[in-house]
Amino acid sequence: MTDTITPRSLDELRDAVIDRPGTIRIAGAGTAHDWAGTPEPADTVLDTTGLSGIVTHNPGDMTVEVWAGTPFGALQTDLGEHHQRVAVDPARAAEGATLGGLFATADAGPRSLQYGSLRDLVIGATIVLADGTVARSGGHVIKNVAGYDLTKLLHGAQGTLGVLARLVLRLHPTPQVTATVAASCERSAMAGLARRVADSPVEPTAVEWHAGRLLSLLEGSESGAEARARRLAEILGSDAAVLAPDDATQAWEAHAAAVRARSDDRAVFRFGVTPSELPRVLDALESATGVTASPRTGVATVALPADADVVATAHRRVAEAGGTSTLRQRPAGAALPAFGPAPASATVLRAVAASLDPDQRFGRGRLAPWLPLPDQTGQPTGVSA
Amino acid sequence: MPERTMEAPHGGTGNDAPGAATPPVAVGPELARAFRDVLPADLVITDEVGRRSYECDGLTGFRQIPALVVLPRDADEVAACVRVCARHGVPFVARGAGTGLSGGAMPVADGVVISLQKLRRILEIDVENRRAVLEPGVYNLEISKAAAPYGLYYAPDPSSQQVCTIGGNVAENSGGAHCLKYGFTTNHVLEMEVVLADGSVVTLGGPTGEQAGPDLRGLFIGSEGTLGICTKVTVRLLQTPETVRTVLADFPSIEAAGDTVGDIVDAAIIPAAVEMMDSLSMEASEAATGAGLTVDAPAALIIELDGPADEVEAEFSHLTAICERHGATRMHVPAEAEERQKVWKGRKAAFAAVGRISPDYIVQDGVVPRTRLAEVLTRIAEMGRDAGLRVANVFHAGDGNLHPLVLYSEAAGEHDAAEKLSTDIAELCVELGGSLSGEHGIGTDKACSMPRMFSSDDLAVMHRVRHAFDPDDRCNPGKVFPTPRLCGERPGPYRPHPLEEAGVIERL
Repeated sequence: MTDTITPRSLDELRDAVIDRPGTIRIAGAGTAHDWAGTPEPADTVLDTTGLSGIVTHNPGDMTVEVWAGTPFGALQTDLGEHHQRVAVDPARAAEGATLGGLFATADAGPRSLQYGSLRDLVIGATIVLADGTVARSGGHVIKNVAGYDLTKLLHGAQGTLGVLARLVLRLHPTPQVTATVAASCERSAMAGLARRVADSPVEPTAVEWHAGRLLSLLEGSESGAEARARRLAEILGSDAAVLAPDDATQAWEAHAAAVRARSDDRAVFRFGVTPSELPRVLDALESATGVTASPRTGVATVALPADADVVATAHRRVAEAGGTSTLRQRPAGAALPAFGPAPASATVLRAVAASLDPDQRFGRGRLAPWLPLPDQTGQPTGVSA
Repeated sequence: MPERTMEAPHGGTGNDAPGAATPPVAVGPELARAFRDVLPADLVITDEVGRRSYECDGLTGFRQIPALVVLPRDADEVAACVRVCARHGVPFVARGAGTGLSGGAMPVADGVVISLQKLRRILEIDVENRRAVLEPGVYNLEISKAAAPYGLYYAPDPSSQQVCTIGGNVAENSGGAHCLKYGFTTNHVLEMEVVLADGSVVTLGGPTGEQAGPDLRGLFIGSEGTLGICTKVTVRLLQTPETVRTVLADFPSIEAAGDTVGDIVDAAIIPAAVEMMDSLSMEASEAATGAGLTVDAPAALIIELDGPADEVEAEFSHLTAICERHGATRMHVPAEAEERQKVWKGRKAAFAAVGRISPDYIVQDGVVPRTRLAEVLTRIAEMGRDAGLRVANVFHAGDGNLHPLVLYSEAAGEHDAAEKLSTDIAELCVELGGSLSGEHGIGTDKACSMPRMFSSDDLAVMHRVRHAFDPDDRCNPGKVFPTPRLCGERPGPYRPHPLEEAGVIERL
């Protein structure tokens, strides 16, 4: 019988980890409950949504410390009052995803072209380990090289290794104006067109291909962003135009909707390869639908039939191109491979996991098979580095 | 000048980590023979003169002659050398150009220095994908030079960029004057090949920011050589900005300059760089460079904007209006690139130039939240007065990274007072919510101050992670973490690095 506990302070969180024996599945808003490896049944579900809100926000320092269970959308709204933002835009933020959940799943959106992902914006964290140790790393200043950047370890850890209690983020000013240039473009032509965008001096925040169009996002000052958008449309020629604000909102919303789509018979596959490999890999994924692709970063999200062989082949194809892939939302109960072939660095992952959570209390199954389940004797396997 | 040779910990004996200590090892001829099995004999340095040239990095007060120095020529040879160390239970210190300022590359007694200076190839400039693949010994500035014909550059620009290596940048997570807008090494490295303590080779990171599993890449960057040796790095290249505009503005007070920075941030402008100098540092720099600084101004800002022309022009007029509102007494806008370089020279030469107004000095590297700049500068001035020592200030105002220069005279017996003042300043930064180090690293220099910033639990967790990578403490032992043996010692006085004396590098 799984028991759910919702701590409301750091002390309660630590006590929950210490007092509950057995395995723990960390849950935020549940928007990525079916991403990555399928979790094993856990003795306790640790609901982080009670750890919510801003701890400290110093607008003049452009930093904020936030409880990990805070809904990302609410955080952006609060920061927006100070004309500031966390410069990431993952699609599932609109579904109520928490900051900690986005961080643990290494989620990011189109603006990663300019700003990277949360790993590039996090400057500190407070975490709780499986033995109840509360550890801080980083700090409240953007520039800081003191000690290991332990926070990075939880980025993409999918709820293994430790629980995020609080995160400190660097902020960026909200741009005064956002403009979008759309260019009609077959998928086979997106790489060449995107290259022309990149070679122009307009410095787009995002460049994404979706549904037969290449979308370029320009952000900046009132006069500057619009001028850059017009300039880019001119450079790209007759098939390109600056979208009206409502059309732009709709275009990006359709993009996000494709990324977070769920269906009864398809699974969402996310991967990254070098930009020049992207068209070839996409072409090889013949059954892919709902494609969104970032031709300048090399990251794409597609829907594949919920078939273990199809998904395994897709993982293999990405690995052969030197890239990385993770399976995201999938039909309930579908047994599909979450990851591709284990890289050599899986030995390091296992060693780190063995040092921080030797009994694999947190998120068991989430990183399987790279982090294998403990064997019958209860001992984790494959922990030697 | 007194020289203090550190008795550095070796194996696990000097570390306060829980767990078994490995017994000291005697480095004998058999170790040299083992290296000669994997390297040509002339790449295994055993003579004292040869070894002595590796005794310190840019922080010259910490010195230790290593037992052996090896000079592998490629990643396979690095891995072979690490395996020899593993087999013999000998610690090793990876070393790039030795320009670090925190003693991070100081050798270990009875240990081996693995120099990466022969791994100097730029393996690829990939224009289509805007990335470069590099061996660790490539100089930072060489990357941008190789990318320049394609309109691309590598953003992190530590001031030693002519002579510091990308491998060292990875170890230290180096920044530079332009990191306020563009970030640090960690934001620009996509993928790395790493040799672990047991000699195995792994790849951390991937070709994009997309991650499958935890960000081991991000953990490794900035770990100061304690988790392994990086033998290949893939970095992102950026397009050279269309426009660059720079202003040198004088202010009637440090506070006025600080408020100007605050208003720039509030105006949603992210400058590529915002640097501040006080009158003492300007006096020194102007005497050395004739860059056009106003020596009797209490403070000056150098602010640089870059980006698309449409954006930069609008922001620049806003920026100069903000400077005027805060009573800027002079604004110099260099018209051409050459003139701009001259202004930057005035800024970058400040450290070395301080030698003109003081026989000895110590460079600090603390960080405070930007809004506490005025407060920390007032406190530093008070502490300097109390200690009877002058402190010059040159710093990255945009991100609160201070570089106070504590001026003193070794001959007048002021060393210990200066050392104490310097440490007190770094610890004051922590007290104000900042950090011990913004870019120089902890290394040997600040390891003893780490408990001011982190609890024993925080440090113990870092140690656990370190042991996951390196169970026997063989990678650069004695750095980053405080050890009883180390913390009983104090470094010798600052002495200019030979490259600095030759005018090849500056300290920023």
